[in-house]
Amino acid sequence: MSEREVLELDVLFVGAGPASLAGAIHLKQLLRESGQDASVAILEKASEVGAHSLSGAIVDPRALNELFPDKSVTDFPFEAEVAEEHLYYLTAAKKIPFPFVPPAMNHHNCFVTSLGKLTRWLGGICENEEVDIFCGFAGTELLYEGDRVIGVRTGDRGIDKNGQKKPQFEPGADIHAKVIILGEGTRGSLTKKLINRHDLMQGRNPQVWAVGVKELWRMSPGSVPQGYVAHTMGFPLGHNIFGGAFLYGMQNDIWDLGMVVGLDYKNPAVDAHHELQRLKNHPWLHSLLEGGEMIAYGAKSLPEGGWFSIPKLAVDGAMLIGDSAGFMNGQRLKGIHLSMKSGMLAAETIAEALSTDNFSAAQLADFELRVEKSWVKDELWKVRNFHQGFDNGLLAGLFNSGIGLLTGGRGWGFKNRISSESGHLKMEKKAERDRYNDLHFDGTYILDKVTDVYYSATAHEEDQVPHLHVRDQDVCTTTCAEEYGNPCTNFCPAGVYEMVPDGESQKLQINFSNCVHCKTCDIMDPYQIIDWVPPEGGDGPVWVNL
Amino acid sequence: MNILVVLEDKSGSIHRMSQEAIAGAQQIGGECNLSIGILALGNNAPALAEQAAKYEATEVLSMENEHLNQYTADGYAAAVAQVIANENPQYVFFGHTYQIRDYVPRISVKLQRPFLNDVVSCSTNEGKPVFSKQAFNAKLLAGLHPQGSGPVLVSFQSATFSSDNIQNGTANVRSVTVEMDTGTIKTVPEEPFQEAAGGVDLSSADLIVAIGRGIGKEENIPMAQELAKVMGAEIASSRPVVDSDWLAPHHQIGSSGQTVAPKLYLALGISGAIQHVVGMKGSKNIVVVNKDPDAPIFELADYGVVGDMLEIVPKLTAALQE
Repeated sequence: MSEREVLELDVLFVGAGPASLAGAIHLKQLLRESGQDASVAILEKASEVGAHSLSGAIVDPRALNELFPDKSVTDFPFEAEVAEEHLYYLTAAKKIPFPFVPPAMNHHNCFVTSLGKLTRWLGGICENEEVDIFCGFAGTELLYEGDRVIGVRTGDRGIDKNGQKKPQFEPGADIHAKVIILGEGTRGSLTKKLINRHDLMQGRNPQVWAVGVKELWRMSPGSVPQGYVAHTMGFPLGHNIFGGAFLYGMQNDIWDLGMVVGLDYKNPAVDAHHELQRLKNHPWLHSLLEGGEMIAYGAKSLPEGGWFSIPKLAVDGAMLIGDSAGFMNGQRLKGIHLSMKSGMLAAETIAEALSTDNFSAAQLADFELRVEKSWVKDELWKVRNFHQGFDNGLLAGLFNSGIGLLTGGRGWGFKNRISSESGHLKMEKKAERDRYNDLHFDGTYILDKVTDVYYSATAHEEDQVPHLHVRDQDVCTTTCAEEYGNPCTNFCPAGVYEMVPDGESQKLQINFSNCVHCKTCDIMDPYQIIDWVPPEGGDGPVWVNL
Repeated sequence: MNILVVLEDKSGSIHRMSQEAIAGAQQIGGECNLSIGILALGNNAPALAEQAAKYEATEVLSMENEHLNQYTADGYAAAVAQVIANENPQYVFFGHTYQIRDYVPRISVKLQRPFLNDVVSCSTNEGKPVFSKQAFNAKLLAGLHPQGSGPVLVSFQSATFSSDNIQNGTANVRSVTVEMDTGTIKTVPEEPFQEAAGGVDLSSADLIVAIGRGIGKEENIPMAQELAKVMGAEIASSRPVVDSDWLAPHHQIGSSGQTVAPKLYLALGISGAIQHVVGMKGSKNIVVVNKDPDAPIFELADYGVVGDMLEIVPKLTAALQE
């Protein structure tokens, strides 16, 4: 019988994304300046840093410039500076340029980037700074002493699908730290527990999410202009679904093609993956992608709620940063710089807490003050009512954000705060089933889900308890089948959920090994009975340049 | 010798994948002007050596030792490492079997030499072999050019070479000995599992009957098993069948199962998702039965039948029985 290991640290970040990596680096810098030392580590569920990193992405280098004052933008692992940018309204056959690119969508001095490349690069710097990154270990439990968070338990390995120990069973370790910083990314599983236990969303707008799906297309040499940026609205989503598409020109003749779909749509048949496939039927994209080859696929949810959906950020012994806290600017379509900055501000709070050896909620609330005083607040405040404006459709949303430019972000020109409700509550009980009738999956251009999933290189140990916990599977075959027609089979962009025949009836089959860790199911399930928990550490997608 | 092929014993005869490695050695040896040695070891070494002596090779080495009578990873690794050190070939070839996966990495560490495992094809460049491995989930092929004098350990995936192409000849058999003592072997082997002994090593099967979701329900499984039995084939499946617990996981072909390349792959009620296809696309002949004429598996098929496997399989079984 193996004993559970206990590791004592000063500072533990959970999730090696841009927020934690920037936070850990900045903390080490601050400690060095003040002559202190502390043990700092990052837990990462992926097999290596970057393997679960996915974003568009266009990066505003502001946070990187602050983090590395001695470096210049040419030192950062960007693909290319934004060279030309377009904003189109698409109809099924035409693309109509917007007369001008609104200032909020101006990406001047920003850089087309692969987030996976950026996090791998930051991970290397962390190692030079003597930050320990434990890859292949997922945090599965928060450890408490009273109401104070004192550590994180990592997942057990070697449990079979029936919950029994296999010969190679290894219990998870308990990592104790003076402060735990959750930078788990979007809809983090520990974050969800922390928010619920401490009621951190009290007085906030509920978070609203979107899901982004993307494909990388390799084209013939010389055919992809690096730094090309196009965003679209309209087709295929129409006016009643929040979202749009992006197309970025990367290095090595690669197009990044993606689709963002707000997780507050009404029609339960909506399928973000299928929307991306429909988008490719547009003649403009068809001509751009012709002769190319799809080489990678991925999906990730993203917090769109903005300033009013950011939870309380600190409790005794723990803090929230990055996408876990919702630092994303929905109007600028950017969050990486905000995530990094949130990590760096948290680091400043931690450095102070270390010097006074005080990690209480009151001390850590210093982080919230730092956010308030920083450009993070300035930026998010101006767009604080952006997403809510789209509750009444595309045109209302555009009108609201246009007015917001003139009033400094007031909703409909006068309201300081437009409230909103959780996206899953908007789903209606009648599906328009024929939405994807025109899709013909051909295996090379219009791809079905399982083919795309193959190109996410996702893999999970098969003999383990599925990490998608559906609390009551009777709901799937009865109420949900009748009311919504099992929307999980649509909203999951990886084909995890399938209704299969079971005698005369049907039953839910969870193909958990397809999971790309986007968390959409946890967010969008209308009954909120799906719990995404981490699988065995190291499992999941293996993304290289997403 | 320049290439040493190490044989695996399959109940007293040479394992099919070892034969393929010999065919590969002969092909590469011919193109790069390299001489070939073949090593037989274990309690059946004399029988294997006798069989190998009928192939075109420079010599056959036969090694018996009381410590090699039963397979152990530490024993085999120690013995083969000594032979490699003494003979100093440039390349050592193996079939990529379970046994090889078990003990050859130890040789690689012992000798501090690279082990290119699961190689899927081989070409030559400027008189030297270039070995190709699958990378990024079989999306890319990586060409590996070994540098320096060797030895380089190489194992080949099933059907990389065809044992039909083996050239016959005569080779002298030489006995070799190794220094081994009981301290070398720290593992105590038990009897092979019945399933391993019963031959579910799908990667070395010549004929495979594979079933997919089209089988419909568990009660139909015996129908496919009956066909496999009549054909002398192994039974395999795509993922849904294993997910439903109708067959054990080791029957699964594909990215989360086994990779096979039999002479005949009979795909029954399998749609042909890419996750399955990567595990069987190297099969020599692919025969498909599927109700859906648009099923992607038909793109790989050498012969295809659009129809319900549940109607066709019993007729096929009956026809074969006659």
